[in-house]
Amino acid sequence: MAEQVTVEVVSENACADDDTSRHPRRVEILERAVVAGGALLAGGVLITGLPRLATSAPSAKQDAEILNFALLIEQLQVAFYAESLMHGRLRGQWRQFAQVVAGHERAHRQFVESALGSKARKAPRFRFGEATSDPGKFSAAAVALEDTALAAYNGQGPNLTASALGAAARIVSVEARHAAWARVLAGQNPAPQAVDPPATEAEATAALKRRGLLDG
Amino acid sequence: MLDQIDPSRAISEAADRVARTTRGGLLKQAGVGAAILLGGVCTPAAAAATSQKQDQAILNYALVLEYLQSSFYTEAERMGALKGALARQAEVVGAHEREHVRALRAVLGPVAIARPRFDYRGVTEDPSAFRDTAVAFEDLAVAAYKEQAPRVQSKELLASLLSIHSVEARHAAWIRYLAGRLPAPDAFDDPLPRRRVVAIVEDTRFIVAPAKTSGKKPPRFTG
Repeated sequence: MAEQVTVEVVSENACADDDTSRHPRRVEILERAVVAGGALLAGGVLITGLPRLATSAPSAKQDAEILNFALLIEQLQVAFYAESLMHGRLRGQWRQFAQVVAGHERAHRQFVESALGSKARKAPRFRFGEATSDPGKFSAAAVALEDTALAAYNGQGPNLTASALGAAARIVSVEARHAAWARVLAGQNPAPQAVDPPATEAEATAALKRRGLLDG
Repeated sequence: MLDQIDPSRAISEAADRVARTTRGGLLKQAGVGAAILLGGVCTPAAAAATSQKQDQAILNYALVLEYLQSSFYTEAERMGALKGALARQAEVVGAHEREHVRALRAVLGPVAIARPRFDYRGVTEDPSAFRDTAVAFEDLAVAAYKEQAPRVQSKELLASLLSIHSVEARHAAWIRYLAGRLPAPDAFDDPLPRRRVVAIVEDTRFIVAPAKTSGKKPPRFTG
């Protein structure tokens, strides 16, 4: 994707100087640059390796649909950490992780719930099996859960209205912090890729089902 | 609820530490960093800001922050003062930041801002100063991307920036863990307006000169 990168770069000195007459070529360079850059932008801006997800025009109605999916993920996380702490098998850093993250997920759930108001759906019943009682299985599940949560938020971001996106963005980076934290504790690379691939709702749901974290 | 959370306390504190570490022996270069960060791609004042130009300005702003980070990690690696987990962090994260630079430059093409000259004032040679600076940089990057996301007009570009944003958050959590700090200190991460980001970067005096590039030189990808 980088092959075509050469040509003129507008100097910062020119930018800082408002007297265009002393830089007769500045505007001309900029105009050309913007045209060329525009072609690139219009031609697709995807960063190497990212899947191209279908997007649809944001609307309040669509926000509610997406936020309900976010709510499901937060409800799942709340239930997962609550049950894990209840079993009382986690020790040391994993226990601290579960306690801190559980508090965050409750705050996220409450936030999304109140944003949805009467449109908020009730949580389904979750069955986590040994993922909440066996510390080894807990760590693998926590990594998968947090990685999936942030991928799901990233995938929905472009479909949200600007204000809903602003709110979701305050949550997604915290999910990413959780994911990296869980990965450090699990002895995995906290940031395995230079860009996090987004997931569609279907992909995220399928990943959670594969892990036995969601029924179906 | 949004108002109950102090928007940037953690970042300010981190930035204060950066500033304390680096305030000794300053060059009188104040203003250079701000000119670069605020300048972005400067549009003629009279021209209406089209959505495309707005996106380009956001990308160039992101690019400067990525330059700031990538050069920092590259230099730290070259200095060789980091050992063990910290060295591994610098290696992995440095590669990511260089990849972000490459991707942003590829998208911006000819309007990509050039890499400024940096002087990290010794923080790349000292593991604990490196660590504190890295915490500040990563938390700052998360907050800066977050502020810009809702302003991005192109959906594809937004998808890309969100995918970088969450990686910066992973970096932040990782280095915080290595620094013995809580990787995720709050339930919500807050955005930081550009002017605040600029002020923090200014305060570090890490940006000492704008790049001279304005000819037809190919870009450098040296880190």
